[in-house]
Amino acid sequence: MYLVNDIIAFLAANLILSQALGTSTLFVAADSKRKLVGTACCITIFTTCGSIGAFMIRKLLPSEYADLTLLLYILMIGVLYVGFLTAAYFINQERFVNIRKYIHLSAFNCAVIGTLFTMDQKAANNPALFTMKEYVRFGFKAGIGFITAALILTAAFRKLNSSKVPSSFRGGPAILIYLGIISMAVYSLK
Amino acid sequence: MNERKTSIFDGILGDNAVLSGLMVISPVIICGNTVKTAEALICTFSAITFLSVLLGSFVPKKLPYTVKVIIYALISSIVYIPVREAAEKFYPDSITRIGIYFPLLAVNSLIILQSEAKFFRMKKPRMLASLTFYIIGFDAVMLLTAFVRELLAYGTIRSKMADVNTLISGLGEPFGGFIFLGLMCGLYRKIRSIARKEDNTRGDLNVSGK
Repeated sequence: MYLVNDIIAFLAANLILSQALGTSTLFVAADSKRKLVGTACCITIFTTCGSIGAFMIRKLLPSEYADLTLLLYILMIGVLYVGFLTAAYFINQERFVNIRKYIHLSAFNCAVIGTLFTMDQKAANNPALFTMKEYVRFGFKAGIGFITAALILTAAFRKLNSSKVPSSFRGGPAILIYLGIISMAVYSLK
Repeated sequence: MNERKTSIFDGILGDNAVLSGLMVISPVIICGNTVKTAEALICTFSAITFLSVLLGSFVPKKLPYTVKVIIYALISSIVYIPVREAAEKFYPDSITRIGIYFPLLAVNSLIILQSEAKFFRMKKPRMLASLTFYIIGFDAVMLLTAFVRELLAYGTIRSKMADVNTLISGLGEPFGGFIFLGLMCGLYRKIRSIARKEDNTRGDLNVSGK
């Protein structure tokens, strides 16, 4: 029963299905299964590592300079962006060209920045959540949520792009309606 | 070949950022359910995007792609600070409602991806004109979505009661936003394909009448 509750809570907190964060990235990555999974994994790494940086920034930044939060988050993600590209290059130079495009697609998008701000909002409402552990947990959970949404989309991707769908609705519009129906189901679980 | 000549007006109908490119759709889905919120988003989105792309156009083109993208994001996050202050004065309630979607406007796809792929390949006057029409295209979709959703979901227009008999409350929720935007995208594509067919037919007639 606990597992069912956890799954329901996990789906209800999904950033794509409940907050539409990262939907544009999902569409860009949706043209192939490989790209979709690669991008989703990269986003998970960004949200998890980014949440560590976000916690540090929130902790060190005096409240009177709160307006600088976005600027510092962008700077931190920029550092992660360069760091991941460098790491990918040195780890596997042959695969670097393939991995590079996932990193480019994942760095500055709503899913990553939105996760950091959502966590900030949650921590502001409940100070008990303002810990490194909670930030990292939330960042990882958000990334897994993106992977889940990507898998849900992958399951129907071919059918939504098939010739059976009217040409005006084929692809993007059909995917949006499909995500809307899944989102409705998730909404009813709340 | 079915190649079409691009126009500076493409951002409104031919290649609308939201309906064609499916970019910047999160704010439309979540915040585009009341006209007042939409107005606040439109003003801030327009200011942030226009100023950021304009300033970004001065970044040297020779820099590596990654460095340029980081600089564009930094520029937009700097532009965001005064825009937020101004927005808080003009739309205090709406800004609170927009919440986390407000800072996300600073990392929208038009600034981060399209500026490099599209706008910075044009000459500056054409770039500014094209950018303006892309922004107007987003604004129009946002306003239309918010108007229809507010009317049908809450039975109001700008928080004033309207004479609507049947309300579809789900249209005000995120899933309603997804479905409504999907339907709008489909309708937009249909209209665009009809318009292009007519253009082609007219073009053929002109050629044959030469």
